[in-house]
Amino acid sequence: MFLKIVNKIEEGIIALFLVTCTLLVFVDVVMRFGFGKAWIWSQELTLHLSAWMVLFGASYCLKLGAHIGMDAFVKIFPSLGRKILTGIACVLSLIYCWLVIYGAWIYLGKVKMLGISLEDLRFIPTWVAHSILLIGFIFLGVRLLILLWTVVFGDVEVFRHADEAKESMAIVEELKKEGMV
Amino acid sequence: MTTAALFILLFGCMLLGMPIALALGLSSIGTILMFSNDSIASISLKLFEALSKHYTLLAIPFFILSSSFLSTGGVAKRIIRFATGLVGHIKGGVAMASVVACMIFAAVSGSSPATVAAIGSICIAGMLKIGYPESFGAGVITTAGTLGILIPPSIVMLVYSAATEVSAARMFMAGFLPGLLMGLMLMVVIYIVARYRSLPSLPWVGFKELLSSGWSALGGLMLIIIVLGSIYGGIASPTEAAAVSAVYAFGIACFGYRDMGPMKEQPWFKPGESLGAALFRNSWQITLALPKCIFDRDVNKVLMDAAKVSIMLLFIIANAMLFAHVLTTERIPHHIASIIVELGLSPWMFLIVVNLLLLAAGNFMEPSAILLIMAPILFPIALQLGIDPIHLGIVMVVNMEIGMLTPPVGLNLFVMSGITGNSMGWVIKAALPWLCLMLVFLGLITYIPQISLFLPEYIDKLKGY
Repeated sequence: MFLKIVNKIEEGIIALFLVTCTLLVFVDVVMRFGFGKAWIWSQELTLHLSAWMVLFGASYCLKLGAHIGMDAFVKIFPSLGRKILTGIACVLSLIYCWLVIYGAWIYLGKVKMLGISLEDLRFIPTWVAHSILLIGFIFLGVRLLILLWTVVFGDVEVFRHADEAKESMAIVEELKKEGMV
Repeated sequence: MTTAALFILLFGCMLLGMPIALALGLSSIGTILMFSNDSIASISLKLFEALSKHYTLLAIPFFILSSSFLSTGGVAKRIIRFATGLVGHIKGGVAMASVVACMIFAAVSGSSPATVAAIGSICIAGMLKIGYPESFGAGVITTAGTLGILIPPSIVMLVYSAATEVSAARMFMAGFLPGLLMGLMLMVVIYIVARYRSLPSLPWVGFKELLSSGWSALGGLMLIIIVLGSIYGGIASPTEAAAVSAVYAFGIACFGYRDMGPMKEQPWFKPGESLGAALFRNSWQITLALPKCIFDRDVNKVLMDAAKVSIMLLFIIANAMLFAHVLTTERIPHHIASIIVELGLSPWMFLIVVNLLLLAAGNFMEPSAILLIMAPILFPIALQLGIDPIHLGIVMVVNMEIGMLTPPVGLNLFVMSGITGNSMGWVIKAALPWLCLMLVFLGLITYIPQISLFLPEYIDKLKGY
């Protein structure tokens, strides 16, 4: 139940970022052509929203197995070998997360000390706007730890990757359901 | 040394099955920490700036959003009806119609496997019914489906321009003629085969049906017109055009076609209703339905699907920019270029090498991943050899198309095998003759740069540069 709520909240936030981004640019275009006006802050806001969407969503995509990768090599091995290789991959990914988290921490600390804010949205301090780098990679790290746990103690053998071919088959299912084929 | 470390780390991580984004990030950060003096804080900033400083990148989520609204069976059906009306009466016309439908749907959806799935599942059944061999239809559609990444707007092209900072608008102009040419080549071959094997054609449907099917397909066609018109005309950037097309796609899918969303299956005209009454009813219904979209299940699903793919791609791009940063600071492409010049390799030989390299890579990796890794390496070399970056981009995209037709990663093959229920071997065999045609096409594109460069240069001239 708790996990379900977390899931819904994550989806809601991601969808909100995407929709806001799209509408901001759309309204910007309409304003420019319709009224010859433009908001100067719109571009900076849109870019930051999209950065937030990506960094916030990266861990969500890991959970869903929506990232892409190659699993052909790992799948050559028997179950135990797969687990060991995937375990190593998890640890390496965690090292990467740790490096970015560590770097982001130092960077955010410095920016906060300097007290600078964004260029157009002057009321937002830069460290707040850039904090998603830290937050996002912490989330990603947590999801990687969970994955590592299930590799060691559970039944997960390889990273789940997105499969565009399989997703495209959804269209076929839809057509079949509506009796068009 | 640095080069070796970078590539060993990268390929090692990828072989372990790590997500490509993380593999790119780790190998770049690792190399930077081992061989240069950059502080780790500055690398983190670079990662963030990759996402927050590139306005063109925003076109990617917007185009993905618009394509997920319109990559539906309903839209495919309307496009096929129009395409059949257009060319169905010619010899081999049903197969030609599937090529035309693939071209239109490919432009709307920007995805090759989705094109094969949507067009293939409807057209192959139709072709079987009037007596086409199944393998013929399967081969044509598997191949025509690859046009999804060549005909603009194309997400793979946006990825290329993100990796090389080539203008996305110019890439979109450059892809148009090659896309048409490839479609024409397919149709000519179909015509010859149809003559030879005397395949059946359909009766001419008449202008009335053509107009009415054209009207019903217009919802999808307008998207192409809006996007290409505004980009070619120079009135909007790809990002702006993409945002407009996303909003337009939402409107058409939910309120125009009503295939999804709160107004699903509400007809525009009820039987016996007068025009005024219908207009009145529809306008209040749409006003009421608009807020309902926020919690609508179909709309939310489309949103989340688009968000998932966008996040995945943009996250790879952000990490790939770190990778490109390492390449530039270590001057790796520069070194390779000087070796190539020393070897006395001329541009055309270099292009052969590029083609072979990309064809090989296409067997193992997804198009966007290959582009993000290879483009930053090949691009500076090509510049030094005097090859136009736009031309290089189109060559790379066509290579990626072929990669979708070759096992073991060929996405289109998997989809076709799923649709027809035949084995992979059968699909590969069905697609093989068409794959050869693609190779001829690749040769044309590689050695006649004017095919790709004509339109962007012509539009430049029109604008008086």
